[in-house]
Amino acid sequence: MTHLLAQLGAWGLNGMARLGRAHLLLLPLLRGLLSILRRPRLLLDQLYSVGVLTILIITVAGLFVGMVLGLQGYYILSRFGGETALGLMVAASLVRELGPVLTALLFAGRAGSALTAEIGLMKATEQLSGLEMMAVNPQHRVLAPRFFAGIISVPLLAALFSMLGVAGGWMVGGGLLGVDQGAFWNGMQEGIDFSDDVINGVIKSVVFGFVCTWIAIFQGYDCVPTSEGVSRATTRTVVHSSLAVLGLDFVLTAMMFG
Amino acid sequence: MTQQENNADESPLVRIRGLRFRRGSRWIFDGLDIDIPRGRVTAIMGPSGTGKTTLLKLIGGQLRPDAGSIEVDGQNVHALSTPELYRLRMRMGMLFQSGALLTDMSVYDNVAFPLREHTRLTESMIRKLVLLKLEAVGLRGARGLMPSELSGGMARRVALARAIALDPMMIMYDEPFTGQDPISMGVLVQLIRRLNDASRITSVLVSHDVAETLAISDLVYVISDGRVVESGTPEHLQHSGGEWTRQFIQGLPDGPVPFHFPAPGLREDLLEAAP
Ligand SMILES: Nc1ncnc2c1ncn2[C@@H]1O[C@H](COP(=O)(O)OP(=O)(O)OP(=O)(O)O)[C@@H](O)[C@H]1O
Ligand SMILES: [Mg+2]
Repeated sequence: MTHLLAQLGAWGLNGMARLGRAHLLLLPLLRGLLSILRRPRLLLDQLYSVGVLTILIITVAGLFVGMVLGLQGYYILSRFGGETALGLMVAASLVRELGPVLTALLFAGRAGSALTAEIGLMKATEQLSGLEMMAVNPQHRVLAPRFFAGIISVPLLAALFSMLGVAGGWMVGGGLLGVDQGAFWNGMQEGIDFSDDVINGVIKSVVFGFVCTWIAIFQGYDCVPTSEGVSRATTRTVVHSSLAVLGLDFVLTAMMFG
Repeated sequence: MTQQENNADESPLVRIRGLRFRRGSRWIFDGLDIDIPRGRVTAIMGPSGTGKTTLLKLIGGQLRPDAGSIEVDGQNVHALSTPELYRLRMRMGMLFQSGALLTDMSVYDNVAFPLREHTRLTESMIRKLVLLKLEAVGLRGARGLMPSELSGGMARRVALARAIALDPMMIMYDEPFTGQDPISMGVLVQLIRRLNDASRITSVLVSHDVAETLAISDLVYVISDGRVVESGTPEHLQHSGGEWTRQFIQGLPDGPVPFHFPAPGLREDLLEAAP
């Protein structure tokens, strides 16, 4: 019994210490903004590997999610004779919820895990120590560009996701099921409010981008520098990011639309 | 040259006093005193796992001692602010045991890396410098390769070229000879000696290769169990060294130097029931 309590305590203390280290890392990351401003090239390279390489999965996922939304929405709405609201339904659910949330989840799986593994391996192979001894701060040179690339990429990817989702919904609703085109787009235009829906969606995706990239970078930087440590850190990145995104989504939604 | 620098010239470049450092509950260093003179090759030898790599990391300010002080060029490494520490590190080169090359860049870009980070030289100047440094380690022809395409010994030579790219005042070599064939070993020995004699670079050399190390070093420290066991010139160590040193240098299996990591007796360990 006491053994169990002690283990629980140790687990809690470890978690707290890790949370503290994660917050301590934020300061150098933000300070790294200075070196990025001096050398934008560092950020551009990371925007490519963190953002551009994630476009494919976002494109495919966005289209399919939109198509499913179109189908499901049509079956439910047609029961009440409300097919004309299909455009609004698809767009609202994408812009408010599915776009930011699913993008963040996919980002954590595709880019977040890669970031953790890359940084973790750089630590395990002493590349980060090597940088320190060359008087180059790895927090500024390696971590910060990846961090800001993630924060910039996620909102853009979420916008792409929502856009393609709407296109997918329209393909199914307008093309396959014969919903009136004018009504589809009109309902969307009238029902979606720029500041209520679009801006709030963007705020969500910025927050998710921040949290997912932060978790990924911290897990890589803080991992035990062995193969097992790196693999554990990668798993933790995906699990923690997903849970954080879903939990934060509830909090943000309650604050914005509640 | 100012008065102060003149005085500094006679003082040791690295002065370690009463160094204590702990890993877990085990004391790696327990009251270590070492002076590393300027412009000489100082070797640090000792059995595997005594903390030679740890010592270099302490000098470079990557680890913090539990007690004692380390001064490099008159500055207490662990009392410096981060920018000051980075300025000091710019004048130190370190050759990691593993090489620690950046795996996402070619050999050329790895050697150019410190130049690009810390100087405003033009690309054509950088190119000349990089090719010269690579020529010195015999790998000018390998400049287009990626680190994953190098052998361990080649990677370490590239790392050496990178460590000398900024012409530091001091270079710390962690096992530079491991994995080198006799020819590149000979070249490396000469290179370390030449860097030292021509540019008056202070060299700290950590190595197990007794013959090579004794051949090029001016001063040798033998450490074991967290203390300096013996120090002096190579001749002194070879001839009048104590029993411990003689066994270590001649590589004899029997004597006071333990081959084993601290452990209970083999008999008890084997007889103990499996958990
Ligand atoms: N990260 C670490 N955590 C805990 N203990 C460590 C760590 N790194 C090294 N040690 C311990 O510190 C001791 C000294 O290690 P170090 O790498 O400095 O040895 P070394 O003298 O360089 O050995 P070698 O000649 O084999 O390279 C070792 O006994 C090792 O068990
Ligand atoms: Mg070592």
